[in-house]
Amino acid sequence: MTAKCHCNQPHLGRRRKFFRHGRKKVFYEDQSERKSFSPMSKRKAVNGHTIEHSIAFLGNPNVGKSSLFNALTGSHQHIGNWPGKTIERKEGHFILSDEYFSLVDLPGTYSLSARSEEELITRRFVVENKPDLICVIADATRLERTLFIALQVMELTDKVAIIINMQDLAKKNGLQIDVKLLQEKLGIPILLISAHESTSIMRVRKFIFDSLHTDKYSFTPAMMVYSPKIEYMIHNISKQIEIRTVRKDYPTRWLALKILEEDQSILEDLEKEFELEDVKTKLRSRKIAEKFDSIAEKFDPAIELSKSKYSSLHKIVHSSVSGSSEFIENRSDKADKVLVHKFWGYPILISIYAAFFLITFYASTPIINGIDLLIQRFSEWVRLSLESINSPLFLNSLIVEGVIAGIAAVLIFIPIILIFYALVAILEDSGYLARSAYLMDKVMSKFGMQGTAFLSLIMGFGCNVAGIMATRTIKNEKDRVTMIIANSFIPCAARLGVIAFLTGIFFQPWLAALLMLTLYGVSILLVLITGFIFQFFYKQEDPFPLILELPEYRYPRFRNVINLTWQRAGIFVKKAGTFIFLASILIWFISHIPFGAEPDYTIAGYIGRGLAVVTEPLFGFDWKMMIPLIFGIPAKEAIISALGILYGAGGSIVTSLRASWSIPQAISFLLFQLTYAPCFAALATIKSETKSWKLTVIGFIYPLIITSILTVIVFQILRVII
Amino acid sequence: MTNPAKLSEVDEGQIVVIHSINAGRKAHLFLADLGINEGEKIRVIKNDTGPVIVEVRGTRVAVGRGLVSKISVLKE
Repeated sequence: MTAKCHCNQPHLGRRRKFFRHGRKKVFYEDQSERKSFSPMSKRKAVNGHTIEHSIAFLGNPNVGKSSLFNALTGSHQHIGNWPGKTIERKEGHFILSDEYFSLVDLPGTYSLSARSEEELITRRFVVENKPDLICVIADATRLERTLFIALQVMELTDKVAIIINMQDLAKKNGLQIDVKLLQEKLGIPILLISAHESTSIMRVRKFIFDSLHTDKYSFTPAMMVYSPKIEYMIHNISKQIEIRTVRKDYPTRWLALKILEEDQSILEDLEKEFELEDVKTKLRSRKIAEKFDSIAEKFDPAIELSKSKYSSLHKIVHSSVSGSSEFIENRSDKADKVLVHKFWGYPILISIYAAFFLITFYASTPIINGIDLLIQRFSEWVRLSLESINSPLFLNSLIVEGVIAGIAAVLIFIPIILIFYALVAILEDSGYLARSAYLMDKVMSKFGMQGTAFLSLIMGFGCNVAGIMATRTIKNEKDRVTMIIANSFIPCAARLGVIAFLTGIFFQPWLAALLMLTLYGVSILLVLITGFIFQFFYKQEDPFPLILELPEYRYPRFRNVINLTWQRAGIFVKKAGTFIFLASILIWFISHIPFGAEPDYTIAGYIGRGLAVVTEPLFGFDWKMMIPLIFGIPAKEAIISALGILYGAGGSIVTSLRASWSIPQAISFLLFQLTYAPCFAALATIKSETKSWKLTVIGFIYPLIITSILTVIVFQILRVII
Repeated sequence: MTNPAKLSEVDEGQIVVIHSINAGRKAHLFLADLGINEGEKIRVIKNDTGPVIVEVRGTRVAVGRGLVSKISVLKE
């Protein structure tokens, strides 16, 4: 406990008070000490620059952290994954005064507890990588909430600075922030900016530079002093930690706080490392154990710690911000009166998403046709050039029908994916995406799912890989697993291509449109039914309820939209692209070997004929229909190219398909291909997201079974009536 | 001050003080991190069907109906 503080209220004190109580390191007492962590000592050459500084960006979602990061680093960016995780890791750098500043954009989180992968990654990075400076990005219009995480970081390290964004918006709302006072109270450098103003970027760079180099700022983070009871517990646990010299890499006080909070990740770490059976009991003497329990009975320390932080923040923010007007209806509230109205909200939602899909479809069609034409010309040219140099037929076929067709299959989907994710990004950046999750919660909850699952559903329409990755925002384990598995039911852009192609061949335009809508309806219904079924396997006593922040509406920023689109379309291009390309080459091999044989007698032909024995009476699929479906397992877009190879040889694919398939067969085929299996890229993502082979196998088999049952029923009925 | 009422029963536009949160630990901790704690003043923005939207510390948060009924509040 602190010597001078006997009040019952939690508050922020000066850190130096704490130094009397066992903390050995004193930062910034003089210049020589300061050098001990200053990056000046890191004299290694990086890209010709002798001095390298590592900076980490951290903060709440929706504070403009990533756009600031993008603006700072420009094109000097590298996007990868955190080791062993599918969470994106963004790194970049900028150079100032011939010094190299490397930046890491940590995932947006509300807190540093370890309840999600993002939080765990952020915390580990701060502790293990020891960046030279951590910039917490806050939002001037929501200071208390966005500074909360800054208080948590300040408990973990001294090298913290705060960048308060959206100053212009705060000014508009009549808020005046006294940065000097705030800086003094928190004891760390603070900068106030509006990220999209042109001068801001230079100011941020200078701020980072000055924080690391000059005496302009001090780094003496105010220490959170909790209520006497909590301080008593912290004090006792800290003493035990010091005696046992446990985990020297974490600050003692912070470790004590985490033990007090019963932070699962820290407790498990300690148990593993020191073979302690029960860290909590071992790290306190028996004498005070009883007292601990009696205190802990009255309140949950973890909640108490959050509460104390907020009440301290409240005082600080109130003293240094004037004109704060709480509880005033703003523009977003007014818009929400209509946009999330209990009745009008739904027609608006449906119109917005209908427009969304129409734009995607119509805007991409001419581009796709153009690309298609170019590829045809190109492959024709390659074929002629190859023939003119007398290269072997086998090689010509491999290059033209294998390699070029493979690249074409990837290229064709890029426009549709780009437009789709640009529209998602506009919806997301404007704040409407969160509202649609809110609205859909009422619908999804009837099927035992939460509205947050809707985001993954929408993403899945572009590419299931992106849809599966979007499940990370779902806090509820059951919903997350449901959406990971059910994503296979969502017709991605690739399957849309197959649907549009086949319905156009077999039906009148209006009937084709109706059938397409029906197929989409079937998909969504299958997703909801999956949610309904899965809730019986996940009998959780305490399902995690919906808690969703609704950001303020704003005009989508061009830069944000471009960045978000590029991120997600990039997933498709990189992951799906590789799979589609490899699958195309594989298809060529099994459908052309032995080389020169009739399609029936290639490897694919034999497999297809074997399966047709079962599938013909059940689904109406003969061997020639089975082959595209087999090829479609690794990548759905292969279905069209396989149909082309099988039915297009020596004539029009349209007439040939119309002649060979009956209407029930065509519908049966359309229905089956819609949902029967995740592509390999999606399957790989299921594995990496769930880290479970069991769920990966279920992810493959479950759609197959459900789709087979559905198709048998539909085909048998259609056969009788048509 | 009146007796505590359920947050799910508060009218739109009212400003109330949270009296107690009787939720599961995980949900409670997440609420705490978002600043939704006992003693906190909040404004109910929307409460008809489905999740309730409240304003807390300048931010808007939608909270599922099941959870909202476990939060009791005091009207001022």
